[in-house]
Amino acid sequence: MQQTALQIFVSSHDWVWALWQIIHFVGMSLIVGIVGTMDLRILGLFKSIPIAALRPLVPWAIVGFICNLVTGIFFVTGKTPGPSYYTDNLSFRLKMLFVLLAAGNLIIFQLSGLEGRVYATPAGGTAPTAAKAVAAFSLVAWLLIIFFGRIMQYNDTLLLFLGL
Amino acid sequence: MAAVLDYLQNLALANWVRSSPSLFAYSTVLAAHAVGLGIVVGLNTLIALRLLGVAPGIPLTGLRSLYGIIWIGFVINLVSGLLLFIAEAHTMATMVAFWAKILFVAFGMIVAELLKRFYFRDVVSVQGGVVTRVGRNLAIISLVCWYIALIAGRLTAYPDMVNGWLHLSGSGT
Repeated sequence: MQQTALQIFVSSHDWVWALWQIIHFVGMSLIVGIVGTMDLRILGLFKSIPIAALRPLVPWAIVGFICNLVTGIFFVTGKTPGPSYYTDNLSFRLKMLFVLLAAGNLIIFQLSGLEGRVYATPAGGTAPTAAKAVAAFSLVAWLLIIFFGRIMQYNDTLLLFLGL
Repeated sequence: MAAVLDYLQNLALANWVRSSPSLFAYSTVLAAHAVGLGIVVGLNTLIALRLLGVAPGIPLTGLRSLYGIIWIGFVINLVSGLLLFIAEAHTMATMVAFWAKILFVAFGMIVAELLKRFYFRDVVSVQGGVVTRVGRNLAIISLVCWYIALIAGRLTAYPDMVNGWLHLSGSGT
């Protein structure tokens, strides 16, 4: 049960975990604020905003995602019992599943040409119906990513709920 | 004060949130609080970024439509926050980080309302849609409030560490 250098660093400095957590929440806020706003606009809210006008915000959402990818890798590799603390956790697995589904949803959005059609939607205009389905899926996926991320520590309540 | 905290913490609802093994007790309330945080901090960040010059194509009048969603996020967090507070009333009420969070959430919401009620009306009708220094300053104040609130809220999970910084003794309970 030799600790890795990262695990020793984490367990000997209590601020490290707290700092990563803060960065993880900041990244989450950037993703929710920007991706969520784009999803709601595609679904028909905030119609006075042309969808293309939101595009310069996308790099900020990507920064948020990279923050959370990096801190997320630190969490999994820095936890002292080992990565199995997370990888054996059903809430963690479901969170990762929905991260992958959200990524797949985004790839479909881009490769299908829907993204181009969405950005061509003017202020007051309605996005294509297929884009609305992608936006609704994105909203639900990110909601579940936050939900499963936050209940990871209380995984027993999920197992009880599922009768596992 | 202690009597009030005792009363709150012994409410059946507080006991349920704190101790029930149900997915819908502590787990869901905590998750809802994170969702509300994402909505409130995320949308206020988006508005501040627009005022600071990112995404200038977003019409400033269009930003006003985001405030309805901000208020939904705020109400989610007011309700979930009250439940989380009563569940651990004594612990929360004695934490400096908790009260700092509440203070900066209040400041953040006041700045948000100032922007919505006064600034966005003026910027369109009086200033011809150009973001003035007042707008940029409000955006910076908004970001400072929300990220201090976020950091302070996160630090409530580490009472011993924060007490150590503040040279306070005790286990944080």
